[in-house]
Amino acid sequence: MRFQYVLSEIVTGLRRNLTMTMAVIITVSISIALFGTGLLIRAQSDAMRGYWYDRVEISVFMCNAYTAEGNCSEGTVTDSQRDALLAELENHPEVEEVFHESQEEAYERFAEDMDDPVVDVITPDQLQESFRVALVDPDEYEGVVSAVAGLPGVQNVHDQREVLGPLFRVLDWFQNGAVVVAAIQVVAATLLIANTIRLAAFNRRRETGIMRLVGASNFYIQLPFILEAAIAGLLGSVLGAAAVFTVQEVAVGRLLAPNFTFTAWVDRSDVWGIVPWLLITGVFISALASFVTLRRYLRV
Amino acid sequence: MIRFDNVTKVYPTQSGPALESLTMEVERGEFVFLVGPSGSGKSTFLRLVLKEDKPSDGRIRVAGKDLHRLSNWKVPHLRRRIGTVFQDFRLLPNKTVFENVAFALQVIGKSRRQISRDVPAVLDLVGLDGKQDRMPDQLSGGEQQRVAVARAFVNRPLILLADEPTGNLDPATSVGIMKLLDRINRTGTTVVMATHDQSIVDQMRKRVVQLEHGRLVRDQSRGVYGYTR
Repeated sequence: MRFQYVLSEIVTGLRRNLTMTMAVIITVSISIALFGTGLLIRAQSDAMRGYWYDRVEISVFMCNAYTAEGNCSEGTVTDSQRDALLAELENHPEVEEVFHESQEEAYERFAEDMDDPVVDVITPDQLQESFRVALVDPDEYEGVVSAVAGLPGVQNVHDQREVLGPLFRVLDWFQNGAVVVAAIQVVAATLLIANTIRLAAFNRRRETGIMRLVGASNFYIQLPFILEAAIAGLLGSVLGAAAVFTVQEVAVGRLLAPNFTFTAWVDRSDVWGIVPWLLITGVFISALASFVTLRRYLRV
Repeated sequence: MIRFDNVTKVYPTQSGPALESLTMEVERGEFVFLVGPSGSGKSTFLRLVLKEDKPSDGRIRVAGKDLHRLSNWKVPHLRRRIGTVFQDFRLLPNKTVFENVAFALQVIGKSRRQISRDVPAVLDLVGLDGKQDRMPDQLSGGEQQRVAVARAFVNRPLILLADEPTGNLDPATSVGIMKLLDRINRTGTTVVMATHDQSIVDQMRKRVVQLEHGRLVRDQSRGVYGYTR
């Protein structure tokens, strides 16, 4: 294999086909950027899930003197009701751990969280005591909720997942949207690459014709074209990856993360984690598209 | 060296067959003229030898290989044993004489050392020594065809196929090319030349195979062109 020959063929080919090569690079970069954004959203989704699921718990609020809803017709929860509730929770297979929060503890936390004059007019007996339940598997919350929701002395069962659910649905929606658009772009990129390579093969039909005639192997004839496409694909995916870095830096680093500190955000290391996939995808679709095209246009 | 057994070739877009039940053999070291009017099957014959096309029926053996059983990926190796020359030279216009000939060796992966040894030798053989740095458009037609012959012969093939190599050349230049092909033939290379050039066939007195409508109508050793256009 004469490396120098292959190299000079690639350079010639890329230069001769400059406009089409640019088109390939741009299309690949857009599809890779969208694909990367989809992967980034998924990483974000995972980061949030990981952050929240460690903290997600079921709160079983018990009746106090002021509550009327739920099973509070008998007034403030009694000791026996509380014991029965605790026993039910501790015996449930999906329950990992149960913490008790008294009215005083609820007041302290409230005061801490709110830091507001309203704290001064609230007294501990207005708040509810509760059991905070950590689950073995946060996805399996429904069984626990239905097991205790109907017990006497329970005012309300609150599952924090229900609050996060819509957020994750929006993230899923964004992620799927980005992947669908990326897929459409990948199809466009593939067709464009196929066309570019066909044009390149046509431009060099004199050379390739002679190569066939003197017995150059198919691999040797096709290699410069495939490498040419792969290089264009690589340049495109590098640009696409740079765009993903920019998205992370601007959208997350400057806008979202400083203003919404209640959750984890993807950082630069997450982007580095997806960059190899972006480069591999970009190079692979380009090389594959040209290989398939050449099989049709440069036959023995 | 080349053996056709009852070979028929039908192109789907044409009415009659391009070759019909052709049986003939070319021995090692022979010089054969393939004559006949346009469309008589000469070019089809050459394409079949190179396995650029597959016969519709019949068997072809080239250089000891049954082409029917030769897998596609081995076809390049067959072609390395066959040199080919065309009427239109088919040189690369942006490469020098040396590079054009070297190209044929480069693309089959020969070493630089071998190229720098073989290319000047073959340019010397075809009478182009001292012109290796010229571009094709600085050469006469006859010289360009010599470059093409050098390219076809540089890998020392067993067979040299020539498709009307003198078709674009004047009679005096044509004689020069024929002398060159004759010299190559004397090195033991089998030469098959398709031609319309009556005076050359008559002068050379080599074996003449005449095709008409894809059928062999005459096979004569030390023959003449034998029909008028």
